[in-house]
Amino acid sequence: MEEVKNGEKLTLVTRKPCFGLPTACPTCLPVYIYLRFAQLPFDVEYNLIYPDSDQIPYVEFGSHVVYNNEKGGVIQSLKDEQTVDLDSDVSGIPEWVSTKAMVESWLAEAVMYELWVGSDGSSAQKIYYSDLPWPIGKCLYFKQIHMVKQLLGITKGNAERREEEIYRRAATAYNALSTRLGEQSFFFENRPTSLDAIFLGHALFTLHALPETSVLRSKLLDHANLVRYAENLKAEFVDADSSSSSVSPSRSDPSSSMPKRGPSNWSKS
Amino acid sequence: MAASFEDNSTGQPKDDALKSTAPARTEPEEDNDNDDDDSQEEDDDDEEEEEDDDEDEQPPLTRQARMQSDRAKMEALFRRLSTERVPVRVHDVLIKGNAKTKDSLIEAEVEALKTATTVQELLQAAGIANARLQRLEIFDSVNITLDSGPPELPGTANVVVEVVEAKNPLSGDFGIFSKPEARSWSLEGSVKLKNLFGYGDLWDGSLAYGWDQTSEISAGLSLPRFKGLMTPLMARISLLSQDWSKFSSYKERALGFSLGLLSSRNHDLSYNLSWRTLSDPSQISSRTVRRQLGHGLLSTLKYTFKVDRRNSPLRPTQGYAFVSTSQLGGLVPDYRSLRFLRQEFDLRYAFPLGLLNAALNFGISSGVVFPWGNGFLNRPSYLPERFFLGGNSSPVCTLGGPTSILGFKSRGLGPAEPRRQVGENSTTESADASSEMDFLGGDFAVTGFADLSFDIPLKVFRDAGIHGHAFACTGSLTSLTENSYREFSLTKFKESFRHSAGFGIIVPTKLFRMEVNYCYILKKHEHDRGKTGVQFSFSSPL
Repeated sequence: MEEVKNGEKLTLVTRKPCFGLPTACPTCLPVYIYLRFAQLPFDVEYNLIYPDSDQIPYVEFGSHVVYNNEKGGVIQSLKDEQTVDLDSDVSGIPEWVSTKAMVESWLAEAVMYELWVGSDGSSAQKIYYSDLPWPIGKCLYFKQIHMVKQLLGITKGNAERREEEIYRRAATAYNALSTRLGEQSFFFENRPTSLDAIFLGHALFTLHALPETSVLRSKLLDHANLVRYAENLKAEFVDADSSSSSVSPSRSDPSSSMPKRGPSNWSKS
Repeated sequence: MAASFEDNSTGQPKDDALKSTAPARTEPEEDNDNDDDDSQEEDDDDEEEEEDDDEDEQPPLTRQARMQSDRAKMEALFRRLSTERVPVRVHDVLIKGNAKTKDSLIEAEVEALKTATTVQELLQAAGIANARLQRLEIFDSVNITLDSGPPELPGTANVVVEVVEAKNPLSGDFGIFSKPEARSWSLEGSVKLKNLFGYGDLWDGSLAYGWDQTSEISAGLSLPRFKGLMTPLMARISLLSQDWSKFSSYKERALGFSLGLLSSRNHDLSYNLSWRTLSDPSQISSRTVRRQLGHGLLSTLKYTFKVDRRNSPLRPTQGYAFVSTSQLGGLVPDYRSLRFLRQEFDLRYAFPLGLLNAALNFGISSGVVFPWGNGFLNRPSYLPERFFLGGNSSPVCTLGGPTSILGFKSRGLGPAEPRRQVGENSTTESADASSEMDFLGGDFAVTGFADLSFDIPLKVFRDAGIHGHAFACTGSLTSLTENSYREFSLTKFKESFRHSAGFGIIVPTKLFRMEVNYCYILKKHEHDRGKTGVQFSFSSPL
């Protein structure tokens, strides 16, 4: 778009940062990372009061807005409008397409399950509801759990079976990704693509935001090269050069600031 | 003696039995029987007799002679009542006819009767008590009777309150009303349940649907006297949904609970707790509105002070009125609920001009809203709580804060922001550029008007209540939050005023009150939605 090229700054609106991540919501983080990969300068603003909206994250430039619930998502819209397309070379490779599909379906489902159903909900409370008054937060939280269960097809009868299936698929996906990655820095063509953005977002969320007792987290920790991949890219693209992103909260200050963490010692519980 | 009493118990007319044995001791009792009359406390026809132990012994009389003597006694009593204060003490208050209603409720309403010291005071207090019981709306009829007290206590009276409870506790209502917040009129249906638990409780459920897709469903409870509190207690829960998409690109949904704490003629205090959600399904909102989409908890205390000395709320020709509304939000000790302070003033004055029943009405009203708490200088005010000017409501009739300037459409003036751009062409917009703007309201609003109303000098119009008026309105809406107050200056403020003037005809009918006005916009800003021309407006007939 002309505005972007003329130097008008992008603004990315996401959910709040915590757990050492620039934004802790698993749908927003990949968009943030994708913009970082593309080396586009952008501002970040936070929406702390609308946890059940599917419009967030969205990108504004000038009077144009790209919402996440339109045209296949923010990343896809940015690629379509040729604002920034990191996948121009790889989008034809069948393996790339199927790897991306696997990450977007199995791993996304696993994170959704773990965040809302599998764990004790403390992470979800902190990310989505810590800035809403208590009665509203509680109501929306229960409403969301119910919606996730419906989405994942979990009922009282098949709860255990579905849980086992979700974790099995996640483990299979990690295995495949670990094999595919090997010792490279990126999954394909040795440069970042939207697949890297999506998986990196997933990995950083699983490693940092989920509690230590999380089953999904322990499955990811089984693959050292994936963990190394996540940490290295985080240091290179996410933590470094934080001066280019200015943070300004929407409506109120986030209740927790980003804690600084050194190189982490990963331990499995 | 014993014999005569036994005779009485077998049903012989008491008078004859007493008369026939007629020793002096039974005389007072006989007199009692003659004097004992049930009486109404209503008007001059009321008969009211006091027990008079000192009455002289009377020889046996024929029926007609007795009536004459009664009438003479009555006239003597009335003479006494009109010339001197006749002392009396209320001995007992008896309540009859209430099967469901609690005694305590009725006793509380007739409390004042017990302290009456003269007959005149008693009659007055009884009239007031009757009116208050009728106002509870739970009885079909109320009768207060003054009776003589027990024979051994002279100078006393008993009060007998007879009520007939409403047979049908359920009643329904259906109508077309105009709400001050809504843009136009709404259809409202309500169902009332009276006196379910005997405390005078009034339960009601109502459903309202407005032409601008505002809809509200609510249920309420009103307790006239709850455990000795002086003022009625009212509680209400409601689910309200308003669609402002055409004006400001958002929809508002509010689930609220409100409690009326104090309600008297001049003062009103209420508490409101509501969960509000702003959403934008069309996804075309401007940046400011986008930032405000989401959930919020409002916990507010609202105090209204009102003095209305005008002779009519719809067509005032004399008097003044003053309303002050203060709202404090953010009381729940949860720092995340919305914190703001809102204050409105409204002053009206009307004076008659004599000719053609004409009157000049002046009014000025203003309002300001500001957030408080940490970082309040940088924070924006909450969008639905801002002031919006515009709409067709008549400034003469709507009392309470700055709301309307005739000639401008609803939410049609003030700070505006362009909406999200969809599509390729960025700069050239066809025809209606203002339809691409979101009106954001303002933090500081001032309106003023002058209105000259007069009768149309034709008998047929005058009888129907149709009258004409000429008016001039002005108003300004500015924003102060998010550091805009730093750019506030007197010249800019003067520049921000919009003006309009015009004349029209007002037609009050039984169903609604219609105004047909021709408005001429004297000054407006670039994006305002105001048009010179004829406009209609409808409001409730009151």
